[in-house]
Amino acid sequence: MNTTNNAVIIKGNKYGIIVVLSPDEKFDTIKELVAEKFKESSKFFENAKMAISFEGRDLTNEEQREILDIIQENTDMHIVCVIDEDAEREELFRKTLEQRLMELANNTGQFYKGILRSGASLEFETSVIIIGDVNHGARVVSKGNIIVLGALKGNAFAGATGNTNSFVVALDMRPMQIRIADTIARSPDKPVKEEEKEAKIAFLEDGNIYIEPLTKSVLQDISL
Amino acid sequence: MGEVIVVTSGKGGVGKTTSTANIGTGLAMLDKKVVLIDTDIGLRNLDVVMGLENRIVYNLVDVIEGNCRIRNALIKDKRYPNLYLLPSAQTRDKTSVSPEQMKKLSDELKEEFDYILMDCPAGIEQGFKNAIAGADRALVVTTPEVSAVRDADRIIGLLEANEMKQTNLIVNRLRMDMVKRGDMMSSEDVCEILAVDLIGVVPDDENIVISTNQGEPLVGSDTMAGRAYMNICRRIIGEDVPFMDLSEKNGIFSKLFGKRRKN
Repeated sequence: MNTTNNAVIIKGNKYGIIVVLSPDEKFDTIKELVAEKFKESSKFFENAKMAISFEGRDLTNEEQREILDIIQENTDMHIVCVIDEDAEREELFRKTLEQRLMELANNTGQFYKGILRSGASLEFETSVIIIGDVNHGARVVSKGNIIVLGALKGNAFAGATGNTNSFVVALDMRPMQIRIADTIARSPDKPVKEEEKEAKIAFLEDGNIYIEPLTKSVLQDISL
Repeated sequence: MGEVIVVTSGKGGVGKTTSTANIGTGLAMLDKKVVLIDTDIGLRNLDVVMGLENRIVYNLVDVIEGNCRIRNALIKDKRYPNLYLLPSAQTRDKTSVSPEQMKKLSDELKEEFDYILMDCPAGIEQGFKNAIAGADRALVVTTPEVSAVRDADRIIGLLEANEMKQTNLIVNRLRMDMVKRGDMMSSEDVCEILAVDLIGVVPDDENIVISTNQGEPLVGSDTMAGRAYMNICRRIIGEDVPFMDLSEKNGIFSKLFGKRRKN
């Protein structure tokens, strides 16, 4: 008798209730007990508007709906929402959402026209195409990719929220520092001999930042 | 209605004061009514370069604080009657003046003068903000050195942020022999980095040091720097003057080898 008594426990706070269901009982028994318990305490709940969460037992959607129906039948309580306590699912939600947001940052972009001079610092939620130069002492930060239609001489930070697929392109690539996700590359200490101006791309591979001419094969390897 | 021009650079020692003195004097030689204002409060030296130090009675802060009228503080130049100097205070600092007060002052002076030249202090703090407050146009002075060009870049960014209507570049102290050897940036290199219109290139000329020490601006004289500054003045008043060939030097080599033109 004792076990069945504790098969359904109602816990509550100001905003909602937690219904603890024993995993050892048959679902039909659980349903009966839920009906009983809520009937007993229906006066207490009255017209309360509450959030509900289930613990102790994995419920299918079907089962969850049945229980919610029983609660509605036996009380005047209004259940506003069901809160999922599943840590795994929450993690999955978080991951999918973040990945989607990252993709969005990489795949959508905006234009900025003007020269970024020393001391200027611009931050973008999406990828950015800068029509102009990024001078020494200036800084561009983007959650996605950075494309400079001009000379990149300052600092560029692509994939600011950790997207390792982000890249930086410049028509004249002479940056002080390039940062992609958590990896930082800085310019060589000895100035390189005057090179031909040529469009280059900086990307992250195996934890290193590579700067290469923007050839067809490199372009094919880009993944957005 | 006059035009207020600020001469600025960011970095110190690139020739702001020398340029202000020479351009101001040059504009006066072109029959313009000109006033030079030294906004470097606490570190005044435009008066020294102009050779007018001994005439100072009142200064910029006196005018701002209402201790005297503008006309009392203006010093008439000893060579050109249409050239005036408003010297800076030496015993005060930059916080004695606010940008609003400077704007009001330059608006008043605009009524009477054709050109008001502001000699800006180095740096980007209060003194800089004061100097650019009322300006319609900026002349950014830089030397062909990376540090000076970096600072000029920062200054141009700040001028843009303050909605300066027109910004021109003066490349000062250029040494053509070094440029040819590839040891110095050319004025074209500087222009490419800064992406503003060039209004003049002044060659490195020891006559500048002499003239500065004597308090006699050398604009208009038959020296490389003197001609370069005169060209800048003509461009300021709207004349179309071609850039001079700086490699054509009156030095010992051209005397020995004759004129060797190079385009």
